[in-house]
Formats: sequence, C-alpha cells, structure tokens
Amino acid sequence: MMIVNYVASVFLVVLGLYTIVTKKNIIKIVIGTGIVDYGINLFIVSIGFNDGGTAPIFKMSEILSGAYFVDPVPQALTLTSIVIGACVDAMALSLCIKLYKQYKTVNADEIRRLHG
Amino acid sequence: MKLKEGIREKNVVVKCGADTFLPFALVFGLCVILLGTISPGGGFQGGVIVASACLLVYLGYGYDTTSKAIKISVLEVNESLGAILYVLLACCGIVFGVRFCENVFYNCGNIGDLISAGTITFMSFSVGYKVLTGIGFLLLLLLSLLGNTDEEEEMEE
Amino acid sequence: MSYIHFPVLAVMLLFMGAFLTVVFGRHNQGVRVGICTVTSVGAFALIAALIKPVMLGGEVISYWMGNWSPVEGYAIGIGYEVDQLGLFFALLVVATVLLSAIYSIKYMENDSSLDFYYVLFQMLAGGVLGLVLTGDVFNMFIMIEIMTFSAVGLTAFRNHKWGAVEAAFKYLIIGSIGSSMVLFGVAILYAQCHTLNMAQLSSILSGNNSPATIMAFALMFTGLAVKAFIVPFHAPAADSYAAAPTSISMVFSGMVNKAGVYGMIRLVYIIFRAMDSSALQMLMVVFGCVTMFVGVTMALAQHDFKRLLAFHSISQIGYVITAAGLGTALGLTGGLFHAMNHTLFKGLLFLCAGAVLKQAGTTNLDQLGGLSKRMPKTTICFLVGAFSISGLPPFNGFASKWLIYQAAFAKAVESGKIIYAFVTVIAVIVSVMTLASFIKVTQAAFFGQLPARLNDVQEAPTLMLVPMWIMSILCVLSGIFYNVVDKYLLAPATDAAINVTNYIDTMMGGGYAAAAGVRNIAIAPAEFSYWNPILWLVLFIVVLAAAFIVMITGKSDRGEILCAETDVEDGKYATFFSGEHSLPSHVAGSDLFWGFKKDWKKYFHVIEGLHSGIVSDYALWAVAASAVIVIVMFGFMR
Repeated sequence: MMIVNYVASVFLVVLGLYTIVTKKNIIKIVIGTGIVDYGINLFIVSIGFNDGGTAPIFKMSEILSGAYFVDPVPQALTLTSIVIGACVDAMALSLCIKLYKQYKTVNADEIRRLHG
Repeated sequence: MKLKEGIREKNVVVKCGADTFLPFALVFGLCVILLGTISPGGGFQGGVIVASACLLVYLGYGYDTTSKAIKISVLEVNESLGAILYVLLACCGIVFGVRFCENVFYNCGNIGDLISAGTITFMSFSVGYKVLTGIGFLLLLLLSLLGNTDEEEEMEE
Repeated sequence: MSYIHFPVLAVMLLFMGAFLTVVFGRHNQGVRVGICTVTSVGAFALIAALIKPVMLGGEVISYWMGNWSPVEGYAIGIGYEVDQLGLFFALLVVATVLLSAIYSIKYMENDSSLDFYYVLFQMLAGGVLGLVLTGDVFNMFIMIEIMTFSAVGLTAFRNHKWGAVEAAFKYLIIGSIGSSMVLFGVAILYAQCHTLNMAQLSSILSGNNSPATIMAFALMFTGLAVKAFIVPFHAPAADSYAAAPTSISMVFSGMVNKAGVYGMIRLVYIIFRAMDSSALQMLMVVFGCVTMFVGVTMALAQHDFKRLLAFHSISQIGYVITAAGLGTALGLTGGLFHAMNHTLFKGLLFLCAGAVLKQAGTTNLDQLGGLSKRMPKTTICFLVGAFSISGLPPFNGFASKWLIYQAAFAKAVESGKIIYAFVTVIAVIVSVMTLASFIKVTQAAFFGQLPARLNDVQEAPTLMLVPMWIMSILCVLSGIFYNVVDKYLLAPATDAAINVTNYIDTMMGGGYAAAAGVRNIAIAPAEFSYWNPILWLVLFIVVLAAAFIVMITGKSDRGEILCAETDVEDGKYATFFSGEHSLPSHVAGSDLFWGFKKDWKKYFHVIEGLHSGIVSDYALWAVAASAVIVIVMFGFMR
C-alpha cells in the first residue's frame, strides 16, 4: 500500500527537476526547488511506516519486547528537512527580489552577465 | 499604483478575522511548544504557529502598523538569545562531567507533568523561542521588501 | 576537562561567536573583530591540541552525544568520531579560518553592514568544521546545508557590484539540487540499514549491495560531487569565487571545496568501502581528468583575475579526485597532500588578488600592469604561489604532483591497464598549461608598464601581508620537508581511510568489525623516489640570482630611448616617429596566448558556449551527469 507513496514521491522529485531545467522564469525555478524538497520529505515519512503499528509514545513500564510501533526517527528527519526547505525557499525568493531590482527582468535567459 | 492603494485600505471583514484568530494562534502555538515533551508537537511546530501571528497582523492592518507593533531589531536579537540559551543548556552536560547534550536534570517531576523531561523541556522551549522569533523576523523582512519594488538601484563595476 | 570534549566545543565555539555577534556586535566594529578573533584562535587551539592523541598516538576519539551508547549492537545516538582523516581536514579548516579572519580585519574596513559578514563567516566555519568531525550521515547533511546557506549569503554580500546576486542565485539553485540528492541517498540508506551511524553502516554494507544501496551510493556520490565542484557542476563555482569578497573566496577555495572532497573520500573509502571496484575507479579518474583539463583551458581565456584563479581551483581539485580515485595507498597519499598544498597556495594567490583589488580598485587584467614597482612584497608572495601551483621544485606543488604521477604509473603497471599511464600524460600537460596561464597573469598584473592611473597605488597594509607571509613560508617548508609532512600527517590519514577496523571498533565496541568481516591491510610508507629537495633549492636560488643579475645589468630604460617623449621639436629621433608621443607597450593579459587560442578556436567556441550563464543549462548538466553516474553504477557495480 505504501507503494503509492513511493511512486508519488519519485514523481514529485522528477517533476521538480523538470521544472528547474526547462522553465525560464526564475520564480518558477525556485518553486521547482521546493517541489523537489517536498517529494523527498514525502519519501522520508513513508519509510517509517509499519502496517498496524501504534504511535511511538510509551511509559517505561509499557515497553515490552513485542511492542510494535511506527518508526519515530524518520519523523524527526522530516521535520528538520521541512524547516530547511522553507529556509531555502525564503533565501531564494529574496535573491529573486534583488535580481528583479537590478536586472529589471525575471527571465533567466537575460540574467547572464557572468558567462564564458 | 492602484494595487498598492487597494492593499492599504483594509477591509473590515479581514480586520475582524485577524482580530479573532490572533489570540488563538498565539495561545495554541505556545501550548504546542510547552507541551512538546508530553504530546505531539515541540519546538519547530509550535514556533511556526506563533510566527503566523505576524502574518495575521499584516493581513489585517497593513505593513505600517505591523512594523510599529513588532519591531524587527528586537526579533533579531531575541533569535540569537534563543540560540545561545540552547547551546548553554547543551553545555550543561560538559559542566556536570558527562557528555554534551546529556539529560542532567532527569529526575524532576512525574510522568505527565509539564516539567518532567529534564533538560529536554528547556531545550525544546529554547528551540521554539528561536523558531518563533526567527520565522517572524523572516516574514517581516520579506514583507518590508514588498513595499518598495519600484525604486532604482545603481550598480557599480 | 579531557580532550574528548574538544571537537564538539570547537564547533560550538564558532556557532556561539556567530550568535554573540548578533546580540552585541550590531554597531561596534571592535566588539565584532574581538569576538571573531577569540573564536578562531580558540577553535584553532582546540583542534591543534588533538594532534598529539589522535595523529601521533593513533587513537580514535568517539563521542556519543547525550551518552547514548549503542544498545545490543545498534547505534541509537548521534556520534562525533574524530579519526586521523577527519583531523587532517579539520586542521586545514581551522588554519584557513584563522588566516582569513586576520586578513579580513583590514580588507573589509570600507564595507558596510559588517555584522552580517561576521555572523555568516563564523556560521560557515562552524558548519564545515562540524562536517569533517561528525560520524553520522544525517548530521553531515545538516552541516552541508549550513555551509551552503552561509556561502550563498557571503557570495551576495557586496550586492551593489554587478554579478554578485546573480552568482549567489546560481550557487543556491545548483547547491540545492546537490543537497537534495544527498538527502535522498541518506533516506534510502536508512530504509535499508535502519541506522544513520557511519561506523555501523560501514560494517553492514560491506559486500552486500542491493539495488537500493547502489542507488543511494550513486545519489550521495553525485550530491557530494556537486559540493566539491567537479566538472559538470563547476559553473557556479567560477561565478561565486569571483563575486565574493576575497577573504571569503580564499575560504571557499581552501575549505568549502575540501569539504566536498572529504565527503567523497569518506563515502567511497569508509562507508561503502567500494574502492576495489574497477568501474568506480575508472569513473572517478575520468571525472578527475576532465575536470583538470576543462578547468585549465577555460582559465587561459579569462580576462578577470579572480575568475581565472577560480578556474584553476577547479582544475586542481581534479588532481585530487584523480589521485583519490586510483584506489591505491600511494594515490590517496598524493591526493591528500595535494589537497593540503592546494589550500596553502590557492589561499595565498587569492589573498594577493585581494590586495591588488583593494589597492588598485579593479581585477580586470586588461587594465592592470606593472604593479611590482608599487607592491613588491605582494609580488614576491604571488610568485611563490604561482611557482607552487605550476609544480616547480622545490615548492610543495612539485612534491604532491610528483607523487600523483608516480601513483598513476604504479597503478598502470600493477593493474596492467595502459590507460592509467595516460592519466600521467594528461596531468603533466595540464601542469604545463597552468604554468603558461600563470605567466600570463604575472605579466599582465605585476610586470609590464604601469598605467598612469595606478601611479599612486600603495603597498597592502601589514595586517593583510601577515597571512600571505605565513602561507608562503608554509608552502616553501612543506615542499622542502615533505618527509616530515608525510610521516606525521599523511601516513596516519591514509591508514585511517584504508583500514576501517579501528574506526568501527572504537565506535561500536570491540570485536564488531571482525564479526562483520572487515580486515586490515598493511600499507608500505610512501616513497617519493629519488629526488633531493635541498639540491633543487640551491639550483633554484642560483637560477634566480642569475636572472636578477641579467635584469639589473641590462638597460632599464630600453623602452624609452626609442620614443620622442618630452621635446617633440628638437629631439633628434623625432623625424623617425613623425613627432608622435610614446605609446604604452603593455602586453595585455588576454593577448599573451593568442596563437594558442586561435589554433584551438573550435574547442574554445564550443566550451565557452556551454558556459552560457543561464541557470537552467547548469541544472541540465547536473541532472544529466547524475543520470550518467546512476547508470554506470547500476551497470557495473553488481
């Protein structure tokens, strides 16, 4: 059943990379970066799922050797990754604002003073 | 510009909505931060909820009122204070003779109390404080750039 | 306090410096400089105090945060593990940070909003130091992200100059693709092995290669190659090294590059231990050779001082990757030695470029010239750096490049594949072209005629000259006393990379490595074959003295006697020149190798067209190269 999640996350990553490579508006390129991050976050969260497991919140007396719960480590990894994705988007968008003020265009084909 | 004037005049409905949801955002976010060790939540999540208060004030009242109510320089300094508090709490482990980030106050309170996880509660609170001020600062900075997108910039070689 | 706390304290000290600068240093430059100096000196002292137990004593420090030791053979905590390889790179990091902090006191004095500069600088330093000291894959990813953000912020620092914000945007997009690939690889690794600790991964992944772990290896390899700026991913590096302030360019080329190289060596040699596969060796050697060649040919065509140095930086990293990809102990020793030397001589060259930029106001090679009359000390330091990078004896570039040539030939003999001998040929050709390029730069910037505009240029301030002197002395010393460097720094690091048993046992408890089937290999000490550096030093001094004597006894005004300069009417040569004044006879920087560029016109047309400056093109190269790496890994590494 989790195969749907994995297929969707790979699809999002490929869609994000396609957006970065083909779109010419720099804001669309930044959105593509965000989509790649969301796809990877979906993948990390889906890794930890155990079918039929409970939430990993226990008192010391309740942990027996047969306890079956969902893996809490990928949840922590995903939280960190979401925050990093938000910060990348914020920094990239503020650079876009600065680029618009300086070059008067948002077309990536014209923002190429450093070449060769 | 017509669009700028449209934003300046705030709608009564939007202002009422912002007024109603603002205390809810603040209190709920603080609750998520403080109860992070005994229920789902914690520093990151609660901090972002509280930081959305800045956005609510901007939507309801406009940028000028927001920048008078919430000062950017205060947020910047408080963010670093939260980070310094986190590092100092983590270094408590070294001071007490064991490893870095060790839980050194581990037997205070029973399970289910507010302060029951030792160092982890305080660390979670400092992370929440840092995220709260940090994301609020980020939002206000980006909103301040939106107001003046039509000025020229001179460049030099 | 025992020394096991020192690695974590060094990283936290740098981060605390950044936070304290925000609180106290908003308006006072003295407080900012004071905090930065205290933290850089403190981090240097803490890491240098670890040399004695780790490098000389052979001990590996394993530090579990929060004292969460492994339970029943499974690692459950985040661990910092400092072995000789990590300490080698950590020493490079803290030395670069200290010298750059001293240099930027005087270099950045005319800039505004310096509190942002110092905050980002210390975050960058802490991030890279954390990357080389950590023993946990996800922690490595976090430190990569901290490093990328700080680097992007510092590239766009002088945002009133054109090109800075554009370079930062390209760096952010391409760097973000790389970090996402590393994260994807880490996630797949966790799904397969249920652990994030490098030592435990190393013992689980030995020899069991399922398709998922091969995919994870390919993705992490690509992501770390983006950070190290190898050829299809190198275009943002050229832009951002030129656009950043020079004290930061030196940190980029000396430290941030090396973090990517360290990540690749750690991944290939220690986590996956896949260095026996000949397909992987060929892949790394091919990438390294292409990097070397493209870097140096692009550098020959540049008009800007710092962009030229940036392309040379890319080319020298190609040397390191080629040597590390050979898979032998001698190759890895050569690669690590070249990494250390690259930090020293490339940092020196960037500092000289910064002094020229600050005093003369421009880095355009067509507008500079004759600065050796006005800035003699900078010229001497630049010449030391130029001789080192070209590989002239007795400087340190020669020792490390000699070791790389020797390692490639030894590999060709040992494995029977003649193609590795071509690696040596390409490396020597690239070395010659590096020398040609630096002759061009030295002629364009330092020798030749002084334009009238630059007539009142002063020598650089002393606080900027001190790091340059320290680095040039280290260049000369590590070239002459290469045996000492090898015995105390390189041999322990190579041994730590190839013999992983000690690493695994210290982290997970004794006997773990043997149970998982990891064995030790004895490594013979590196032989540099017969060359005597003292003789070469004497020869070098004799040749230099001869050139100096020839220069002094010749006529120093040989250009002016042909001109009718002051008195146009009754100068006796005026009839030959129809009364014209003398024109400057300056050979501009871009014109020196015009014959070479004309012969290779098609190649330069193609390669300069590929460096188009559009960020989508660079992203297309990155995605295409990652696809090639994934296909090669799946096809050949079963």
